[in-house]
Amino acid sequence: MKKVILLFALILIAIAPFFGQIDLPISELFNSESMEYKVFFDIRLPRVLLAFLVGGILALGGLIFQTVFRNPMSTPFTLGVASGATLFTAIAIVLGFSTLSPLFAFVGAMMTVLILFGVASRFERYDSSSLLLVGIALSFFYAAALIVMFYISSLQESYEIMRFTMGSLDIVGFENIIILALTSAFLLAVIFKYHYELKLLLTSYEFAYLKGIDVKKTNYILLFAVSVAVGVAVSFTGPIGFVGLIIPHILKTIYKQSADKLIVPIFFYGGVFLVFSDLIARNLGTTSDIPIGVLTSFLGAPFFIYLLIKRKSS
Amino acid sequence: MPLLIDRYSSNILNNISFTLEAREHLIILGSNGVGKTTLAKVLCGMTPSTSVSIDDINPSDIYGKKRAKLINYIPPKLDVFDEFISVREFLELWFISGVVGAQHPTGIDEVLKKLHITHLSEKNCKALSSGESQLLLIASALLHDARYTIFDEPTANLDPQKMQLLFTLLKDETTLQSKVIITHNLDLAYKLGYNILFLEEGAVKFHGTSSDFFTQEHLDALYEGSVKKRENNIVVKL
Repeated sequence: MKKVILLFALILIAIAPFFGQIDLPISELFNSESMEYKVFFDIRLPRVLLAFLVGGILALGGLIFQTVFRNPMSTPFTLGVASGATLFTAIAIVLGFSTLSPLFAFVGAMMTVLILFGVASRFERYDSSSLLLVGIALSFFYAAALIVMFYISSLQESYEIMRFTMGSLDIVGFENIIILALTSAFLLAVIFKYHYELKLLLTSYEFAYLKGIDVKKTNYILLFAVSVAVGVAVSFTGPIGFVGLIIPHILKTIYKQSADKLIVPIFFYGGVFLVFSDLIARNLGTTSDIPIGVLTSFLGAPFFIYLLIKRKSS
Repeated sequence: MPLLIDRYSSNILNNISFTLEAREHLIILGSNGVGKTTLAKVLCGMTPSTSVSIDDINPSDIYGKKRAKLINYIPPKLDVFDEFISVREFLELWFISGVVGAQHPTGIDEVLKKLHITHLSEKNCKALSSGESQLLLIASALLHDARYTIFDEPTANLDPQKMQLLFTLLKDETTLQSKVIITHNLDLAYKLGYNILFLEEGAVKFHGTSSDFFTQEHLDALYEGSVKKRENNIVVKL
């Protein structure tokens, strides 16, 4: 089962760059002067890589949030962290600092994590459901602030923000891919360094504490790493929802292993999922590509409700 | 190397002081909601305070192997978030931080055998019954082997045979260096014969030997006649 899925995933990634609005005959790809060559190497290939890396980061971010906040529905999206990053990217656009948007997005993400932790520490007893509601409230607040950004922005800026909030994998060239690859490497490195702590957190805070772990510090470091990675990813692609919710859950069902053993598979299949979603979005035959965020939300929102029902009924 | 708590007060507990010497054991008794678990969490540093020390070290000030070696707390219920952590994996987390896969001197298999739960080793923790998970917690305490181990109601979900097994373990002086046992089972407390700390309204009402505690007059004064001492047993009048 696992091997079959892996095979399909690899084939999918291999063929993904070849599909799109224009057909690319393979014979032309080796001619560096041809238009097909340019489309393939400057647009298609970077786009598939972008989708893969962003999908991986979002899926892994979801896993870490679920572990730290001890709730299968906690992800950087449901807790408002991605909305924070989105808002701050919009602020960067309005202020004319578009080039610094990864930094702004990170600040927005980190600020939200700090607010969530601040609120959680005021609970008499940690309660993940209440924290989820705080995240939803924050998302609404950020959404309102985002509308304010639309009002104060110029027509061109507001178009830019609009495109951005719908989530898009449009990219040209490899510069941003390198940044994202480094970000992914950073996230994976931090998670592997805290591998043992992560496993302890998968039992309980109390148990982790008694084994000598500084639970608070570990949580902060893990959330910091995710905030950096999700912030950077969101600043490039806009908010792409639900990847972090769906992928960890599906992989746990397939692999039937604890989350600490699924770090690489979750990153990989998060990437594959987004490559696949993008492939659909690009090939529906519409006059222009459907924003990727629309597609993942169509898939993810019903799944979220399914998770809620399943959790409540068991 | 004594465990020391000095004039600890909170909104539940009131001016708690006592000392537990190394290699001595203690039983904590008291009615529901009197603050026994709260006290346990203060002792192991989960609720930070400046009143606790073990060998002049405050457990809430230190981290890593050093603290893990000092004191351990075994809750009444097993709490595992991930549904796919097996019994063996849970026990593999016995304590050496950062050394994943380190070998335990005694060995996980031996401890599993000791508690008669070898057959559960590949089962997921979430799928265990409450009695089984209680035995798993005891197993983890044995592997962890802290200098002080606090058991919070270790017998709450056990059937009679498992209760006997646990009694033998707790009674055996060599099981762990110092055991603190929180329980409602007076017969167990009596048979173990360890010193008693009795809490009432958040304060220490009695701290002394088992033989001083388990006299009929004393029991009558504390339990309003609901507990009787009969030959070699303490029974609850029903």
